[in-house]
Amino acid sequence: MRARFGLKGFLLPCVLLIVWQLWGIAQPAQSAAPVPTHVFESARQLIASGDLPLAIFQSIQRVLLGFLIAAIVAISIGLLMGHFRFADRNLDPIVESFRPVAPIALLPLAILWFGTGTPAAVFIVAYAAFFPLIINTIFGVKQVDGLVIQAARTMGVGRFRILQTVIIPSALPSIFVGARLAMGIAWTSIVAAEMAVGAKSGGGGTGGIGQMMFIFYAYSVKLDGIVVCMIAVGIVALLIDLCFRILQRKVMPWAH
Amino acid sequence: MRARMAKQAPILGATDAHLTERILRRISPIVVYLRSMAVVLIVWQLIHLRVGNPILLPSPLAVAESLYQLTRDGEILEHSFISLRRLAIGFGLAGLLGIPLGLFMGFSRLAQELIDPMIEVLRPISGIAWIPIALFIFGIGDELPIFIIFYGAFFPVVLNTIAGVRTVDPLLVRAAQTMGVTHRVIVSQVIFPAALPNILVGTRLGAGAAWMSLVAAELIGAPSGLGFSVQWYRQLLMTSKVLAFIVVIGILGYLTDRSLRLLQQRLTPWAVDTGGAR
Amino acid sequence: MGTLVEQPGYPKLQLAHVSKQFNVPRSGEQVRAVTDFTLDVYPGEFLSIVGPSGCGKSTVLNMLAGLDEPTSGQITMDGQQVDGPSAERGMVFQNYALFPWRTAWENIEFGPRYGPRARKLSTQERRAQVQRYLDLVGLTGSEHKYPHELSGGMQQRCALARLLANEPEVLLMDEPLGAVDAQTRVILQEELLRIWGQESAVHDRRTVVFITHDIDEAIFLSDRVAVMSSRPGRLKQVLDIALPRPRVDAVRAMDEFYRLSREIWQLIREDAYRASISQGTEPMVAPVHS
Repeated sequence: MRARFGLKGFLLPCVLLIVWQLWGIAQPAQSAAPVPTHVFESARQLIASGDLPLAIFQSIQRVLLGFLIAAIVAISIGLLMGHFRFADRNLDPIVESFRPVAPIALLPLAILWFGTGTPAAVFIVAYAAFFPLIINTIFGVKQVDGLVIQAARTMGVGRFRILQTVIIPSALPSIFVGARLAMGIAWTSIVAAEMAVGAKSGGGGTGGIGQMMFIFYAYSVKLDGIVVCMIAVGIVALLIDLCFRILQRKVMPWAH
Repeated sequence: MRARMAKQAPILGATDAHLTERILRRISPIVVYLRSMAVVLIVWQLIHLRVGNPILLPSPLAVAESLYQLTRDGEILEHSFISLRRLAIGFGLAGLLGIPLGLFMGFSRLAQELIDPMIEVLRPISGIAWIPIALFIFGIGDELPIFIIFYGAFFPVVLNTIAGVRTVDPLLVRAAQTMGVTHRVIVSQVIFPAALPNILVGTRLGAGAAWMSLVAAELIGAPSGLGFSVQWYRQLLMTSKVLAFIVVIGILGYLTDRSLRLLQQRLTPWAVDTGGAR
Repeated sequence: MGTLVEQPGYPKLQLAHVSKQFNVPRSGEQVRAVTDFTLDVYPGEFLSIVGPSGCGKSTVLNMLAGLDEPTSGQITMDGQQVDGPSAERGMVFQNYALFPWRTAWENIEFGPRYGPRARKLSTQERRAQVQRYLDLVGLTGSEHKYPHELSGGMQQRCALARLLANEPEVLLMDEPLGAVDAQTRVILQEELLRIWGQESAVHDRRTVVFITHDIDEAIFLSDRVAVMSSRPGRLKQVLDIALPRPRVDAVRAMDEFYRLSREIWQLIREDAYRASISQGTEPMVAPVHS
């Protein structure tokens, strides 16, 4: 669902922004309440000092790593499960049993195993990204039109070749959707993981934007900073999704 | 049941074969499930023995024992209840506000053009990113998880409701029009039932998001509940209890999804199940 | 019950120099679907419209129903201009458009329950009416089934019953038998005539405007057949079908049947060929008045 950013679209956000600013002005002078103008100022500072870009960079690094691990594992297993009845029947209960467990619930476990560092965060991201990827891969393989495969067989294409040239391209759109979803969930999870790590390790974690947000809350009470981070989180999420859409159009122009 | 079957099919051979076939069909998925889980448990046990550190990875038996203990103590029930209560309130609010808003935006192009950009701006900022600000506003307590849950569930509900209204088969609307019914009837008797499958999908997705938000919020900013318990026992290095709570979270999450799926089937038996990752 | 259609007095429906133009949303270009279409439909007659793919037949029907407005020209019923859908012009669609969340009974009941005449019917009367049409189309016993539990033929009967239960004066049918296999189709054609009441007198019958690709179907069912050209659709010719009623299976073997079939095909042939190799099929149907 694309938003139509006609002129009317800006009406509500602008009104809300103005109301927010007015509310801020009405607050007592000492209050740490975040206000649009302060937020803007904070944003400039944080970007200029390099803190914000660094934090985002760190978070994205972890997301990419976790996503990659999840993708390799999920897509390979997914292809197997989609193609071979036997694998699907036996592995599916396991996948379905772990799926309802929210990734973040495993964070304490991850911290126990890996410490409050990057590995724990990457683990959570990988776990979170795993499920959309595998489910969409399986679905993508399963819904390959049997007739298309038959057509290929009647042209004398060998079994392995079929996997390469028919099944994977047919499943690609679905896998891509899974990847897009997984990326979105991964980004959300990294923020949550970093925040939780920051919360429980007394600020001793290793950076990232979630961490930064929590530090602003707990230690320097810079609420404007928090809002800046929130906006940054949102913007990055949009950019990630945009990248995927562009990639999708490049790699699979035939699918929509 | 045997007696009933015998009455229906006088030929004894047919009855027996029919019965066994039905039992097998019923049991088969359960067997497969148990078999796979058994493999998981065995692998788990093996890794546990290899690792040798009960704090790092307790054996499945230890976890089972903790589960039993905690249930008996009532702790699991207590925290489950707290968490579920928050979930219900947050999710309920999301539905109560989200569905009407979605319907409104679905019907009115103008409403959609005005409100949608706001939604598209807020949506990428996940509920979890709101936790610090929410902590500032609400402090540690019940309201925080409820707010985060509401936020997380709100968007899937609204967006899917809008989609539901928008993708009503125009043919159905036309059919109703050629029967001379009023616009009001078309909205309530045609568009709403036709949109219901999508609305229910939205609630299922919302529930999934709600669970994630619940656990995150409780981990970080609540003094009670399942998420809190996981964190609490981790700090006490009582890993088997940590795992026990994780299992409970998984089970409750599964039950939530299952019941919504059942609701979906009950209310909209004609709709194709779009279950899966989304 | 003569062999020729009696054309008593005033036409039931009139299309006068009707044209319809669409804007194709993506490219912004204008498509002329129908042009200078003039046709009178008489009360109690069964009129078919045939033509190649994409010639605008459905567009004409939609305009008759009041779901679409002509770009120019006039459409009237009983002398009154048609300016919107109404229960008096009921429609049946190729894809049945049954409400999937309602049982067969509840679908048929929809018109009598919520339509303009709902207030005049007591619950008893409504139930009797629904039952009557349920039986008429041959769905007795299946009333509690949902559409997805019914076969294609049964779904079409249900759609028909739903249309009839509303007791409209005019029945508009958009390729209602298009989604059914050939054998069921032949059977349903005979059923359709029975349900319509081909054995009754003309003034007891409802007016039907029927759209189809199938020339033989049109001949078998109708009193007159209107032939359209390819897009932009013009009215090429209207033929009287001088075959005896009631139409029975034997009629298909008559010489006159064959002659009419050849004649109509010759009228359409070239246009149909052009349509099959040109780009695209039916123009996108315009959005419904909401």
